[in-house]
Amino acid sequence: MTATIIPDLPVFVVIAPLFVAFVLPTFARRMRLVEALVILVGILGFLGALYLASLVFAQKGSPLIYSLGGWQAPWGIELKAGNLGALFLLVVTGVSLPVSLFAKGNLAQEVGGKERSARFYVLYLLLGGALAGMAVTNDLFNVFVLVEVVTLSCCGLVSARNHPRAAEAAFKYLIMATLGSTLVMGGIGFIYMITGHLNMEFAARELASIWQHSPHVVWMALSFILVGFGVKAAVFPLHVWLPDAHSTAPSPASAILSGLAVKGYLICLLKFLYNVFGSALMQEFAVDRILVLAGAVAIIAGSILALSQDELKRRLAYSTVAQVGYIVLGLGLLNRQGLAGTLFYLASHAVIKSTLFLAAGAIIAATGKKKVSELSGIGRKMPLTMAAFTIGSLGLIGLPLFSGFVGKWYLLLGSIETGKPLPTVVVIAGSILCATYLLPVIRRAYFEPAPDTTNADWQDPQDPGFSQKLALILLAAIVVLLGVVPGPLLELAKRAAAELLLLQ
Amino acid sequence: MLSLILALSCGMAGGLIVAVIPQTRSRLRNLVVLIFTTAGMIFTWRVALRVFAGENVAIAGRIGELPWSINPDPLGAVFGLIAATLWLFAAVYSFGYMAEKHEQRTYYAFLLISFSVTLGVAFSGNLLVLYLFYELLTFVTYPLVIHERSSEAVKAGAKYILYNLGGASVILVAIIITYGRAGSLDFAGGPILANSLQNGLDWLLLLFIIGFGVKAAIMPLHRWLPAAMAAPTPVSALLHAVAVVYAGVYGVLRVVYSVFGHELVGRLGFGTILPFVAACTIIVGVIIAAKQDVLKRRLAYQTISHLSYILLGAFTLQPWGLAGAMLHMISYSTLKTTLFFCAGIIAEQSGATKISKMGGVGWLLPKTMAVFSIAAIGMIGILPLNTFWGKYYLMKGSVAAGMWPLALVLIVSGIINAICFIPVVVNAFRGERTRINGERGSRVTLMLAPAILLVIVALLMGLFPGFVWPGVQAVVNWFF
Repeated sequence: MTATIIPDLPVFVVIAPLFVAFVLPTFARRMRLVEALVILVGILGFLGALYLASLVFAQKGSPLIYSLGGWQAPWGIELKAGNLGALFLLVVTGVSLPVSLFAKGNLAQEVGGKERSARFYVLYLLLGGALAGMAVTNDLFNVFVLVEVVTLSCCGLVSARNHPRAAEAAFKYLIMATLGSTLVMGGIGFIYMITGHLNMEFAARELASIWQHSPHVVWMALSFILVGFGVKAAVFPLHVWLPDAHSTAPSPASAILSGLAVKGYLICLLKFLYNVFGSALMQEFAVDRILVLAGAVAIIAGSILALSQDELKRRLAYSTVAQVGYIVLGLGLLNRQGLAGTLFYLASHAVIKSTLFLAAGAIIAATGKKKVSELSGIGRKMPLTMAAFTIGSLGLIGLPLFSGFVGKWYLLLGSIETGKPLPTVVVIAGSILCATYLLPVIRRAYFEPAPDTTNADWQDPQDPGFSQKLALILLAAIVVLLGVVPGPLLELAKRAAAELLLLQ
Repeated sequence: MLSLILALSCGMAGGLIVAVIPQTRSRLRNLVVLIFTTAGMIFTWRVALRVFAGENVAIAGRIGELPWSINPDPLGAVFGLIAATLWLFAAVYSFGYMAEKHEQRTYYAFLLISFSVTLGVAFSGNLLVLYLFYELLTFVTYPLVIHERSSEAVKAGAKYILYNLGGASVILVAIIITYGRAGSLDFAGGPILANSLQNGLDWLLLLFIIGFGVKAAIMPLHRWLPAAMAAPTPVSALLHAVAVVYAGVYGVLRVVYSVFGHELVGRLGFGTILPFVAACTIIVGVIIAAKQDVLKRRLAYQTISHLSYILLGAFTLQPWGLAGAMLHMISYSTLKTTLFFCAGIIAEQSGATKISKMGGVGWLLPKTMAVFSIAAIGMIGILPLNTFWGKYYLMKGSVAAGMWPLALVLIVSGIINAICFIPVVVNAFRGERTRINGERGSRVTLMLAPAILLVIVALLMGLFPGFVWPGVQAVVNWFF
């Protein structure tokens, strides 16, 4: 049994959610069944990813390769689950499972109606499947397809709430994201033009030998890819769509969008940069310096913008802009420690940001208050939710024993290894800024008295229902667990980094 | 090893228990606090005595690639002892001081948790664990700083977090550079960087000193400390005169003696400037102190000055200097806590926080002012109080290091300290004698008793300095 599954595993984790997404509408009236199916897919996906990761972990080096339709590599489409793929698959499935648990709680209330929540789940599964695909794909055009699926399902998720602001945000997102897709498409076209390959490995091999004949085309391809994914991953100053989109979406969607969708694009960018162009070309075209600079600007600017937001979800959204900066900066460090740190940071941020958005969502659902300045005393009323929020915040600030610290430690090791002061200073400054925009929320929630509760319209808020509590506990536990025992995930990240930099 | 675990976990366990005791059960809560601080103190004494006897008490492990180790050496044991002993005094004082205050549950919970964290700093066996607890200390003491919930307290809290997080971040960078250079972070096997190349080490030392200098309040990194006086008085007495600031001082001592080693620091250009940086803080701090009218602020600036006494001793890189630093660390902590205790009683019983408004307070609170006067004399550093011995060895160390101007600095600072406090005492006994006794009732007794006891301890230590000598000697032997 297992022997027949192993070779097909990389495709199963992608196909399963997509398949369920397509059959879901037929059960749209039976909400219980829909929810059960979504969670079942989540659990299966997570187990599959775990199993895959354990296989990759045991095999040391040689990735699992699946050729779609049985067509071999240069002609057919290839799925490749190596260290990087296994890592990102784990992140995607590990975060989306608690998020779907959370969604089970009060999604209908948030999006306005059962029918809308069924649609939400369809898009949600499409997004999950496409993200899993991004983890394992090894084909340039396939990347484009997945990017489009992610983009469109994200648009749908942003507009899931029945609210004019949601429609506006989704439209803004659609315009920007389409622009990004077009640029990515153009970049892929250029690469195909000069190499004649769509498989990443073949394209890379070809590119390495011929790039000197057409450096301008490589330039164009690189800049198209950089800007295209820059828009999609909201790298400052191309982030303008993100705060609206992530703050107006329903909370489970915000969590997925900030935690995973943005990371999916970053993983694609990483694959393009390291697997297609390669680190030597990156240095040749100064891409590494551009990335460090862009990341540094994003960290500082995103944090400062986050600081000035009073609306909690917008503050978290701008914080995502800053945290994307960390990952972009890490991609430009070009050394093993730095890249491993970046990958771990990516995983850690996915978990942390989902925790924060879900906790914020629970607070908003229970109190109807969206602003940080209105959250006085909420820590006493909703202890579990605020505890999760606090753990997430401390993780994001990078306190030891929380997952963010491990990522930051390796990022700093890598930054120092480059010998330039900029990345080190910015990484440090970013975590102090992070404390300045997150700690006031915690202080207000715990150390300020709650407003007068005798007022009739103020219902005493409480922690959310069981499944939502479970989701928050799971995510917060992962934040702590990854901080205390980063072991296997860190090892995967290190191996992936060595592989990407071609140091075995 | 069991004692070590118990010593570290007493505060944490007590804090968690206090957190679930209902707000109104204050007697039960006080009992829990008393039990856990006493137990923590006893276990810390046990650990410390075993460390002084030369036993190795350690817990170590690896997580991923990062090493974690708790391994107290004599320096850590001395710091742990000071903190654990004074914690009990401060807890008893709090029973009185906080009796009619709001939010006692939060206060005691975080007071106990910071107890564990402070001991964690003291007992850390490598830089990473030191960093962990050092950073945590900022977060767990933050609720104590903003305890008053006033806008002034919130502003002070923000300053507190920003300064300390900034410092900790600089330390993190320095630790990572150290790790990259030496591949190890453990204190146990002699100075970490002893065999490292010398180029660039000046900058690394600078980073470390800036980082730990924030909590040690080296000027100009001191501004958070006067602001933090917005906290309740027991917190000011314990955390901002002893535990938190000593964590910074302890960090600096670790950097000089365990990370670089005194021989290496002596060879570095920056290392030779350090004593003079400390000397500047000593003089400037005490001069600013003399100008303050709010008593707690005066005490805060004086803390800044006296912390640099300890640093000065460490920076002389001489055995005598280090002995002086350790002695001053021990004796100063007893007296400064007393001074703050008295300031708290004065503020609570007479309502006066400014020195200019304290005319005649001495008649209202005679015992308090008597204790205050003795402690104030101690700040000047003359017999029969224990601070004399610290100062004596500090001077001896300065002269032995060939830096006699530093001895002069200490003498001048002693004189300015006298100018700081004698007017307070004189002013307190001015005016007409009242017949009201402000020291009645169990609340005042609870506040006054720890102050009186501490002064007696200080006097005894001054008369019989041999009592603390084994600890000091163990530290000096450990590093030289």
